[in-house]
Amino acid sequence: MFITLSPASPDPLYKQIADQIRDAIAVGDLAVNESLPSIRELCEALKTSAITVKRAYFDLEKEGCIITRAGLGSYVAEVDLLRLRERKLAEFRKEIARLVSTGAKFNISRDDLVQLIASTKED
Amino acid sequence: MDAILEAHELCKQYEGFSIDHLSLNIFAGSILGVFGPNGAGKTTLIKLLAGQIMPIAGAVRVFHQDYDASEKEIKDRIGYCPQEPPFFPNKSLVELARFAAPFFSKWDGALFYGLLERFRIHPEKRFSLLSSGQKTLFSLALALAHHPDLLLLDEPASGLDDANRRFLIEMVRDFVAGGEKAVLVSSHVSDGLDELAEQVLFIRAGKSIMTADKVDLLANWKWIHFRDHALEPTLVAKLTALRHHPFGNSGLTSDFQALCAGLAGAMAAGDAQVENARLSDVLVHLTQGG
Repeated sequence: MFITLSPASPDPLYKQIADQIRDAIAVGDLAVNESLPSIRELCEALKTSAITVKRAYFDLEKEGCIITRAGLGSYVAEVDLLRLRERKLAEFRKEIARLVSTGAKFNISRDDLVQLIASTKED
Repeated sequence: MDAILEAHELCKQYEGFSIDHLSLNIFAGSILGVFGPNGAGKTTLIKLLAGQIMPIAGAVRVFHQDYDASEKEIKDRIGYCPQEPPFFPNKSLVELARFAAPFFSKWDGALFYGLLERFRIHPEKRFSLLSSGQKTLFSLALALAHHPDLLLLDEPASGLDDANRRFLIEMVRDFVAGGEKAVLVSSHVSDGLDELAEQVLFIRAGKSIMTADKVDLLANWKWIHFRDHALEPTLVAKLTALRHHPFGNSGLTSDFQALCAGLAGAMAAGDAQVENARLSDVLVHLTQGG
C-alpha cells in the first residue's frame, strides 16, 4: 500500500489517509480480511499523530470499509466494491463537470473531450 | 542591476570561529535573506556589512563607497537593526532617541514616535523594562526613523507576535517597492521570514554554501513520494534524504526539471507524487548534510 500525506492539500490529514486506504481497497491493493497497519505503525511511517490515524480508521469503520476488534487491530471488511465504484464515479462526475466548463471557456467542446479521452492510452 | 552593497571575500577571525572569504551583493529593489544554523556567522556577517566591525581581509562597498573613506555618509543611509541593541538599559526610549538623532541627517521624530505608538510601546518606558519582542520593535523603529536606503535586519522576527511579524513583512515589502532601496534580513527559516526573501544566501561555519533566487531554487527542489518499485533505480539513486517506510518512500531532489520525464509514468498511475520542498528542507539538507 502506498500512502502519502500532503500538508499543502486543503483536505485534512485524516481524510487523506482514509481516502487512500479506501482507494487501496477499491483497486484490490488491500484484500478482504487483510490486516491494516496498526495505528502506531502508520503514525510512525507518515510522521503524523495517533489522533489523525484514529480519526481516519474511525471514519472508515463507520462507512463499513474496515472492522476494528479490540486486541486484534483493524482489518478490511467485506466491502461492496460496487458501492466504492459508485463513490469514485461521483468524484469523476465532479472532475468531468469541471473539465466541461473549463473546456467551454477555451472553445473545447464535449466532443473534443470525448475524443481526447478515447485517444488517451492506458498504461 | 545596481548593487547597493557589494561584499568581496570578507574574512574575520575569532577564537574558534571565522568568516571565510564570504562574498555577496545586495541589489536595488531586492530582499536578500541570509539563512544558516545557529552559530553559522549571520550576526558577524551583518556587523561586517554594517561597518560595526572591520574585516581582516576583503572589502565592503556600500552605495559605491568604502567605510574607510566615507563611514559617516554610509551609516547615515543604513538602517541597522542589531539582535542585541547596545543601548543604555536604564535610559528611557525618548532619551535613547534623543541620543541617536544627531547622528542622522534625515532623522524623523514624527515617524519614530508614530512607529512606537503603532507598536503600543510607551516612549517614557525604560529600555530595560521592555519585553524581548518590544526591544526588537524599538530597534526596528530606530532603524527606520532616519529614512535609510538599506536595511540590515539581524533576526528581526525574534520575539515578535504574529501581528507584528505580519507588519514587519509588509513594511519590508513596501520599503523595497520603489526599486531603489534594499533589505538584508537574517533569520531562522521557520520564523516566517523565508517567504520574504527573494534572493537567498545559505551560510554554514562562516562560509557561503549557496546563493540563489528563491523562486528558481524552489522550482528545482521537490519531495518525491513514491510506491515501492514505481521508479527506475537510476532515478531513485539521484534522490537524497531518502526515507523508506511501510507505506511508501520519500526523497528529495535538487533538480526536479531533470527528473520530470522519468516521473511522468508513475505520476499518471498515481504511484508517485511531487510535493514542494520548503526552504527549511533545503537548508537542513545543505547544512546538516542530512
